[in-house]
Amino acid sequence: MSAVQDPMPQPAARADAAYLDFVEGFRAYLLGEGSQFESRLEQELLAEGQRRGAPLVDIEQIRAHVEALPIGQLRNRLARTQQEMKWQRLTGSFEAQRAALSAELARYDGRGPGRLLLDPAFNYPPYLNVNFHLQPGGYFKDELSGFLYHYGTKVFFRGDNDHDELHARLVAKAPAPADGRVSRVLDLACSIGQSTTAFKRRFPEAEIWGIDYSAPMLRAAHRRAVMLDTDVNFAQRLIESTQFPAAHFDMSFAFIVFHELPLRIIRETVRETARVTRPGGVFTVFDFIGSEVHSPFQRYHRYFDARHNGEPYSQDFCDCRFGDILDEYGFDVAAAPVGQRAGGTGYMQHWFAIRR
Amino acid sequence: MRSTPAPESQSPEGGAPLADEHPVYLQDPVLDATVRMLVELTAEVWVERERRLALEELLSQHGLLAAGALEQFRPNAEQAARLKAERNRFIEQIFKELRRIPMSPARALR
Repeated sequence: MSAVQDPMPQPAARADAAYLDFVEGFRAYLLGEGSQFESRLEQELLAEGQRRGAPLVDIEQIRAHVEALPIGQLRNRLARTQQEMKWQRLTGSFEAQRAALSAELARYDGRGPGRLLLDPAFNYPPYLNVNFHLQPGGYFKDELSGFLYHYGTKVFFRGDNDHDELHARLVAKAPAPADGRVSRVLDLACSIGQSTTAFKRRFPEAEIWGIDYSAPMLRAAHRRAVMLDTDVNFAQRLIESTQFPAAHFDMSFAFIVFHELPLRIIRETVRETARVTRPGGVFTVFDFIGSEVHSPFQRYHRYFDARHNGEPYSQDFCDCRFGDILDEYGFDVAAAPVGQRAGGTGYMQHWFAIRR
Repeated sequence: MRSTPAPESQSPEGGAPLADEHPVYLQDPVLDATVRMLVELTAEVWVERERRLALEELLSQHGLLAAGALEQFRPNAEQAARLKAERNRFIEQIFKELRRIPMSPARALR
């Protein structure tokens, strides 16, 4: 029996891996209780609200206060810097092995199990032309975008998702339809297919589809699935226009997708997902919490992240009352639990929605 | 915090305006650059320290260093945990000052 291969692409040199490991640890320190920036700024904003006699809600008030504070300025500088350091080192490290990585993708394109359906005539809509999370070239302009995303998100998740543990946990939480029938599953904007393969492990007999607009992501997804010997299908399609028949899927799934879409496309995607999900089928969404439950610092974090971490659409998503949109297009939201973290409400939320 | 419009190479549809490629966050641009350099320097120091620690592990195991062994060395779970703990101690040692920055700018000048 051959050993299972690790699909995580590796940096070119030990020094690159160590540098990126530093960034991973520094990020955890900066955002957590190492620096205590977040908890101190949260307390300061609450205290400032008490001093003024009313909680700080207006973003301009919050922004003015945070950005006048030395630790607010420094927190912003360091948040941006760690992200820039990650991408600079990672792109340099993969550039040094571009020919080999390119050949590696080509070697897997035609292999099974599973299929890779790319559209040579695919037109990338302008709204997707964004360097999300400051990733150079965004998600599709570099042939190695999928590899960059894979290692970049390893650092982002602070080492907690090196073997797709987060994706496995979230897929396990997605409720199956009440009648128990799961023949087909759709993973919307699947990127490198970590949820897609997790669905196949959960439902081995089902036909699993992962769709995404990015050809480089899908090639990396297919390589990864083949390395894991997992029979799933990947297709290059827009999630707002999937090309699947009506009521085709028993379950549909979207992992941190909607906050990266303009409001117009959010609505079109929910409408399309309602079209392809059968009555009684379940649509599970995991994404940012709504603005209505933001603490003052979370409100500031969203403001900063939107502008300084390549998340231009995220504020509109948080403001859109996503549960209402699901309802408008034919889903009953059975539950929408908000995540918790030490000190209060977390940043993430689930929506479990049943197609009427 | 100063920023200019996003580079024209991106084309978001509405949403929040994206910051410039090189925003400045601290009131003093020299200090802003100093902070960036400090973190970069710290990363490079860690790169050197990690290499030495890996080397020491190998030397203690084999007594000598075979060609290419250092590049190929991959820590086992226990060694990786030790490295992570050492990394976290290293970060704490250098950045513990972040917790001591006063909230009030006026106090910072005294």
